[in-house]
Amino acid sequence: MFDIVLNVLGVLFLWLSVEYCLRHETAESLDDASLTPFADDPEVARRVEMATGKTVKAVAPEVAQPGWVNLEM
Amino acid sequence: MQLVPDRVAWQDFATVDELTMSTATIGQAYNYKVVRQFVIATVFWGVVGMAMGVWIASQLVWPDMNLDLPWTTFGRLRPLHTSLVIFGFAGSAQFAASYYAVQRTCQVRLYSDKLAAFTFWGWQSVIVIMLVTLPMGYTTTKEYAEIEFSGAVWMAVVWVAYAIVFFTTVVQRKTKHIYVGNWFFGAFILVIAMLHVVNHLSIPVDWFKSYPVYSGATDAMVQWWYGHNAVGFFLTTGFLGMMYYFVPKQVNRPVYSYRLSIVHFWALITLYIWAGPHHLHYTALPDWAQSLGMAMSLILLAPSWGGMINGMMTLSGAWHQLRTDPILRFLVLSLAFYGMSTFEGPMMAIKTVNALSHYTDWTIGHVHAGALGWVAMITFGATYHMVPKVFGRERMHSTPLINLHFWLATIGTVLYIASMWVNGITQGLMWRAINEDGTLTYSFVEALQASHPGFVVRFAGGVFFLTGMLLMAYNVWRTVRVADVAIAHREAQIA
Repeated sequence: MFDIVLNVLGVLFLWLSVEYCLRHETAESLDDASLTPFADDPEVARRVEMATGKTVKAVAPEVAQPGWVNLEM
Repeated sequence: MQLVPDRVAWQDFATVDELTMSTATIGQAYNYKVVRQFVIATVFWGVVGMAMGVWIASQLVWPDMNLDLPWTTFGRLRPLHTSLVIFGFAGSAQFAASYYAVQRTCQVRLYSDKLAAFTFWGWQSVIVIMLVTLPMGYTTTKEYAEIEFSGAVWMAVVWVAYAIVFFTTVVQRKTKHIYVGNWFFGAFILVIAMLHVVNHLSIPVDWFKSYPVYSGATDAMVQWWYGHNAVGFFLTTGFLGMMYYFVPKQVNRPVYSYRLSIVHFWALITLYIWAGPHHLHYTALPDWAQSLGMAMSLILLAPSWGGMINGMMTLSGAWHQLRTDPILRFLVLSLAFYGMSTFEGPMMAIKTVNALSHYTDWTIGHVHAGALGWVAMITFGATYHMVPKVFGRERMHSTPLINLHFWLATIGTVLYIASMWVNGITQGLMWRAINEDGTLTYSFVEALQASHPGFVVRFAGGVFFLTGMLLMAYNVWRTVRVADVAIAHREAQIA
């Protein structure tokens, strides 16, 4: 009996957790979320856009500033 | 005026510690120094830990390889091997990958450079403590938790610092959504903290000697609750976080189903924690607990395969990349081994199957299907992906060497697990064989002699795998080495 209760609680926990995480999500917002790994790299983002047809809201890279120096290896 | 080289991404360039720039941009750049440190540590401990594994494999082929010294006996080096590869190799890899991915998916620098540096040096000191104390015979005797009390307390302190760095970075994110890979990394950090503390609760009698607060079957249950979830969270959940970041990045496609990834996350963490009792079938553990562990292990197949399929299907429309990209090959093969070992695990958790497999080399083969095929392969793929980026290079020194590494690792893994399957089933059948009068048909030594060819093949598999690891170390060294100043300067110039 005890193990059945635990199992039911486990399923309930799983169901509630998934529902809670997805409560405000739409197909579009989930699509946006899935593109997060490319959002900080515009060059890669363009490649992903070309391959998938989806729009990646990529952050523009910072422009090189005077005073930045080369990498000393 | 010198400028940023066009082939190095802005965030890579801007955060290399040797680089100086205006303080205004420092706060927005990523901390790659700690990532680089952990990447190097991953390769270093990988070489040392796997070499230790090959050494103890050789001891089972040629017993003289224990050198007749107490410090180099199998009983002391085996826990050292597992500690070095789990905490040194896999642990450093997860630190590196989580620090890299969390910064890039949250678009914010890691919280506190000093605390991040503390986690690096602190974690390395933990591994050194293991390296010194385990051969000396200081051990709790608990599998995967052998480090004695004082070392375990220090380990917990470092882990708490890791949690602070990771979660504060997530809290400070500039993106709206917390990417699913970070959920997996977060669960890995929290659950490992809980498992480590509960399993190490003990009464110290000395700096390096303590006794657990549990006893008997309770002690065994707590240990295997820890032991199985060390596999489930240290060697699975964190690496799934790695998979959800590096597979899409390498293939240039978003994950197949983001909704499935969320279901995968919650199902995995809901179920994994209950599966530990399958390590204690046919023991003094209450029968209901054994059955619960078996049932949960079987159900666990669903989320495991859900995640595996989600990773595999990310390659939809891009399978052709496998022909030319050995890094992607590592990542995809790791998913294939993940699928295979997460099918094998639930099968072995069935009590009647376990009656044959338990205590045999089949278990060792199963663990290495996961450890070599899943954990190490995805680590190789992620490391080859990260190294050029965090060291400001266009690509790895040699792609053919990555390809060679791939084949050596694959052959090594297959030799290892196939030999252990044969050995395991042989041992299980020989141990259970009885004569008509009820006496045992075979002695233990006869089963051991029958296992010898398998031990030889396993040793050969280990040599293959270690050779691949050495190639990786060479390739990484050639990629990051400082000797080639002329090329480094040329790389750093805009043509």
